[in-house]
Amino acid sequence: MRIAVIDIDDPGQHAAMVEKLDLPFPMLSDPDRTGAIDPYGVADPKDPRGLAHPAVVLLDAGGNERFRFVSRDFADRLPEDGVLEAARGLGLAPVGQDAPLPGVPAPGARAIPLDQLLPYFRGARFAALAMGLRHRHVDASIADDSKAYVALMDLYVGILRDRRRPAGDS
Amino acid sequence: MQDFTLPDQSGAPWTLSEQGTAVLLVFMRGDW
Repeated sequence: MRIAVIDIDDPGQHAAMVEKLDLPFPMLSDPDRTGAIDPYGVADPKDPRGLAHPAVVLLDAGGNERFRFVSRDFADRLPEDGVLEAARGLGLAPVGQDAPLPGVPAPGARAIPLDQLLPYFRGARFAALAMGLRHRHVDASIADDSKAYVALMDLYVGILRDRRRPAGDS
Repeated sequence: MQDFTLPDQSGAPWTLSEQGTAVLLVFMRGDW
């Protein structure tokens, strides 16, 4: 299985993201949404810029759609375990993927520098935790949402901490 | 399959039907 990320940003922004996060897969530009975002039905109709909902679509080798998850909103993500479980369920074997070509990095004005990502995710975690605790007696689904988001932020924080840890330091 | 060709981060064309294996398309909002 190969992976490709798609959004509206241009190749320079994507080159910056690939470099910053050392991504092992390509990022593709679909600025007018006609290449993949609209054809795969993942555009957010409520977004004035026509941005895509965060979504994953798994296609088998024959091009048949075998799995789909479309987020409810911009903060919703499918945990990677869910994607991997779907891929394993289809019996898809891992395949090699060439490292993405580097390009010419040109981050957008809203790009968050790598050294700011850890406090960013920690802040998001604590905010989600606080909202869940504050409103859990009002609606149990709020607590569930909070718990899921905190778990996601814990995952991101863990990944960033592992990246900062020197090799061999466990 | 909705085939497509889009430029990757280097500007090189990337075509879905040329991958020859299963592909996970990850759609993001972008604007970063």
